[in-house]
Amino acid sequence: MTDGPLIVQSDKTLLLDIDHPGSVECRRAIAPFAELERSPEHIHTYRLTNLGLWNARAAGHDAEQVIDTLIKYSRYAVPHALLVDIAETMSRYGRLRLEADPVHGLILITKDSAVLEEVIRAKKIAPLLGVRIDKETVAVHPSQRGAIKQSLLRLGWPAEDFAGYVDGQAHEIELVQKDWKIRPYQELAAEGFWHGGSGVVVLPCGAGKTIVGAAAMAHAKATTLILVTNTVAARQWRDELLKRTTLNEDEIGEYSGAKKEIRPVTIATYQVMTKKKNGVYAHLDLFDTHDWGLIIYDEVHLLPAPIFRFTADIQSRRRLGLTATLVREDGMEGEVFSLIGPKRFDVPWKEIESQGYIAPAECVEVRVNLTEAERMLYATAEPEERYRYCSTTTTKRKVVEALVERHANDQVLVIGQYISQLDELSEVLGVPLIKGDTPVKERERLFGLFRTGEIKCLVVSKVANFSIDLPDATIAIQVSGAFGSRQEEAQRLGRILRPKSDGRGAIFYSVVSRDTVDQDFAQNRQRFLAEQGYSYRIIDADDVFQGKI
Amino acid sequence: MEIRSFTDYLRSLDDAGLSELFAARPDLVSPVPPDLASLAVRASSSHSIARAIDSLTEFEFQILEACVALDEEFTLKNVISITHKDAALAVVRLITFGLLYPTDKGLRLPTSVSQLLINEPAGLGPASLAKLKLTELSEAPEAANRVLTQLIWGPPRGSVGDIKNPGPGIAWLLDRKFLVPLDQRTVIMPREVGIFLRGGKVHKSYQSTAPAVTGTKRVEKSVNMAAAANIATVLGWVEELLHFWAQEPADALRSGGLGVRDLKLISAHIGIDENCAAFIAELSYLAGLLTIDGDDRILPSNNFDIWLTQSAETRWSTLAANWLTTSRVSGLVGRGEAKSVATLGPELDRVNAASTRKLVINLLNEQPNLAPDLASFTRTVKWIAPSKRNPGIQEELIAWTLREAEWLGFTGQGASAKYGRAFITGSDEIGIDTDLPKPVDHILIQSDNTAIAPGPLEHDIARDLSAVADIESRGGATVYRFSEASIRRGLDHGKSGEEIRTFLVKTSKTPMPQPLEYLIADVAKKHGKLRVGNTSSFIRCEDTSLIAQIMSDKRLDVLSLRKIASEVLICDLDAADAMNVLRNAGYLPAAEASNGALITGHRSHRAKAKPKPPRVIGEIDPPSESTLTAAVRSIRAGEKSSHKQSKIRDLAASALGSLPRTTANETMDLLAIYVEKQQALSIGYADNNGAVSHRIVDPIKISAGALVARDHATGEMQSFRIPRITGVAPL
Repeated sequence: MTDGPLIVQSDKTLLLDIDHPGSVECRRAIAPFAELERSPEHIHTYRLTNLGLWNARAAGHDAEQVIDTLIKYSRYAVPHALLVDIAETMSRYGRLRLEADPVHGLILITKDSAVLEEVIRAKKIAPLLGVRIDKETVAVHPSQRGAIKQSLLRLGWPAEDFAGYVDGQAHEIELVQKDWKIRPYQELAAEGFWHGGSGVVVLPCGAGKTIVGAAAMAHAKATTLILVTNTVAARQWRDELLKRTTLNEDEIGEYSGAKKEIRPVTIATYQVMTKKKNGVYAHLDLFDTHDWGLIIYDEVHLLPAPIFRFTADIQSRRRLGLTATLVREDGMEGEVFSLIGPKRFDVPWKEIESQGYIAPAECVEVRVNLTEAERMLYATAEPEERYRYCSTTTTKRKVVEALVERHANDQVLVIGQYISQLDELSEVLGVPLIKGDTPVKERERLFGLFRTGEIKCLVVSKVANFSIDLPDATIAIQVSGAFGSRQEEAQRLGRILRPKSDGRGAIFYSVVSRDTVDQDFAQNRQRFLAEQGYSYRIIDADDVFQGKI
Repeated sequence: MEIRSFTDYLRSLDDAGLSELFAARPDLVSPVPPDLASLAVRASSSHSIARAIDSLTEFEFQILEACVALDEEFTLKNVISITHKDAALAVVRLITFGLLYPTDKGLRLPTSVSQLLINEPAGLGPASLAKLKLTELSEAPEAANRVLTQLIWGPPRGSVGDIKNPGPGIAWLLDRKFLVPLDQRTVIMPREVGIFLRGGKVHKSYQSTAPAVTGTKRVEKSVNMAAAANIATVLGWVEELLHFWAQEPADALRSGGLGVRDLKLISAHIGIDENCAAFIAELSYLAGLLTIDGDDRILPSNNFDIWLTQSAETRWSTLAANWLTTSRVSGLVGRGEAKSVATLGPELDRVNAASTRKLVINLLNEQPNLAPDLASFTRTVKWIAPSKRNPGIQEELIAWTLREAEWLGFTGQGASAKYGRAFITGSDEIGIDTDLPKPVDHILIQSDNTAIAPGPLEHDIARDLSAVADIESRGGATVYRFSEASIRRGLDHGKSGEEIRTFLVKTSKTPMPQPLEYLIADVAKKHGKLRVGNTSSFIRCEDTSLIAQIMSDKRLDVLSLRKIASEVLICDLDAADAMNVLRNAGYLPAAEASNGALITGHRSHRAKAKPKPPRVIGEIDPPSESTLTAAVRSIRAGEKSSHKQSKIRDLAASALGSLPRTTANETMDLLAIYVEKQQALSIGYADNNGAVSHRIVDPIKISAGALVARDHATGEMQSFRIPRITGVAPL
């Protein structure tokens, strides 16, 4: 028995004791093959997955290295069965290879013909294959490169892709680091991505994912397609790129509902890409018509299904996914990994916080007692109406008023789900409301005023969940949400994580009705952040009224 | 002394020789036979010989087969010439085993040995009766050669279309007696031909020493560490399983044992595969830690509580000792086609299980730090003990034993570890207690509602913690998760919210996160708000003063009333009884239906069951004409045949001069006739032991199923029970 920082569990999770002096070194050693699952205060949990192990193989780590690392840092004896399993799993990688053949084009080749026989006979694979060239080689339809990789992964025989990437049309892009400097973790993330070829970078909100994108573009030095969630986000990307890179305004195009510009760097919205005209996706051609060297997916956790399908077809182009929270309530995380690429970089939020790159945040759950009459109404409400009812009660409104009053000198965002509730709040608080039908111009004007501090408080609907840049918001008050969405909670917290000029901490209030489904959903929503080490403090609404926070 | 038989040989043995025989075949002395003759009988019994053959190595068995193929008496030289130069050693061993014995003229086999080994030892046919010119075989035509190649390694029989009209090759062989017809369609190759064709040897190849085990070399330290981890794990599994069943005992199947669904349940609960779950269940069963009670429930026994308090070393030794000696094979559960074999069920015993297990463990222990590969290990085990009685599962048994040895921690990383070796040699200190990680007495609670025990938890803490949290991950450490359901479970176990909180604060090294504190408080607040109970009837009255009166009425004590609301009482008696009691006490209750309606009208019950009127047992209807004719015909026919039979019997009886024999009907008929005639009779009469004696009697009457008669032999009156009279004949 050694005294290592790592405990290897028989269910393939690794527990890392971060209070141990060797934990930093150990984290670095296991990061290439283990996926960070949660990182609360004391013990971080990593998981060994097949995908993670195969990625490690792809990055040049062999099973022996992985096993040695585990044994070296492990506090207790490592279960032998697990080691055998690791060796066995990793040995499956690369038995099949995808190669570019001068004569036959894309081929699937192996030295182990039994494996090839097995996969050729699989129902899902057969239609993707072309002619059998010899015992160990079979041709693959070039358009099915993504699909075959995905299917092989599911069969447990991941193919090593030697077919490489197309460089795309070259275009000079450099970072301009005059009044700012790229942060070490951003550089690591961009490099991790570049060496891996394609993949996903996970960074907390406010940690500067755009810069990682820009750095990746500087590596690629090629025409780039950037896919973002909405027009406001598209403009912010443009502004950011103008500020951080050698690109000028003429080189950046916007491809959205309003404009259809195609330039060396084109920023398109998911919405326009998935818009159907006469039953076909009219704009998906954008992927093909231009020889892109890099495709960036912003907020990849929101990637819509048609783009998924299309992404499978462009496996020869480099792809970078950016996200803060790769938890999809639809369970499609696996698809993201297999289509865009594996997780190339992930770091506990708290670690970046401790380095000072994101603001420390305090999470507070305010529990509101319903009045007797409200409780009765809640109890008799139809099940599907219950959440709406308890999350929009009058008592909540009063609490929000008290909180906004308390933070009269701070930049405050009030975020909610139900428009009627937000209308009411906007009226009572006397502050503007931004919702889905607010025109882009008006939105940008309000954001601008908020940024300069002329407006201290804004009420926003879920449209502002993503990618709006509100540098000085320090307080967020959440009044209702999309049921138990962990991802939404994290994104909302992300709104206030940008470091403040005076180094102040941010506060994230979540107003919850006690003893209702609101409380149950809140618990579920908080799970992701709790796993990132954000511990919620629970206070009573009465304490807010009495000013005891 | 001249040695002509096996008994003679045994007589010739000195004391040392006999002890050697007994050591090799312990079944011969349990119980100790009275003399050498009975020893010889026992030693030649097929059962005992089968056991002896089971303990032979592959080489020894081959030599024995060769001996069977030789004509008795033969010499060592004969044996060597048809086998291998090392046969001498094997022959000595065979003699020690009493499977071969020397006589004055040479070596012989006890008769039952050759009978027991299949008719065609080593695939050789019977000895030829004719003189053979084996040299002619080299001139055999092509067609004949083809036939010979087919038969050379056995079985030595072949079928032909028609023996009278064989093909040219077979005809050539039949002519020279190299093949002998067995029946219309079968020919057989005589032994001499077989041996000749096999190049003068009986078997294809001989391996006179055990083949070496090959495998992967391991580092001793990591082997022991891995084994220690296995031991810690298996102890945890057993504990987990039994705690699980303590909460919810499984129901045994009607045919005995644990159902597949329950097995799945425990495998999912512990997080192991079903084979392993079956193994753990069996292990607990063998060690007496669980039992199947009278109601067919599977649940932990009192021994489990004792076991829990013991040191890890003692706990493990209990499991290991029982595993080594049991004949039960948990690997059979869920194996291939035998899906119905149930864990803890009655069908798991196998003859060779314990001996194979012992052999495997010993073989592993001979080569510490070597993790054998299965194929080479199986080959060696099969050489040492080629199983004749259970060949079907021997290979699986070996694989299962290796698997189980790893689970149990006899091996670590597949190689034998020091704990298992120490246990086998019976040393007092196995070293488990010193090498297992020390239990920790604290947990780390985190804000995501998990608690982590960074090592094996002390027993009490683990028990209390698992009452209020679910285990999410097992291994060196344990990850617990708190949820509403898990806290509720803790409350159901009789802990208060405050107790849970105090326990966690005391046990956790880290401060208690506030959300968890709230969670506990919230659940505790809601817990028990709704109350559920059983009752038989209720008494309801809107007049609370009447309720008060009823409550204080002494005469109604029998109802054991309880007031659950100001207007409602509940009662243990059913409604009808309660109403009777109330009426007798002068109250005027009315019945209320479940929907609140008053049940009025006089009571008039109706059965819910279908009517089943009793069966009528009456007079027999007069039979029809045709039935009567048929009956008569069938009786006549029966009579004729029985008459014929008794005639034949009479003839036989008189020829032998033995007792008279009649059928029961005849007996009654004859007795009736002779009682009437008052004439003396000869009867056969069976006594209590069934011995039949011949009596001459004067019949007097038949009463109460007995014949009362005067016995001529004693001159006294005696009653003879008619069923015991085996036959009657007039004098």
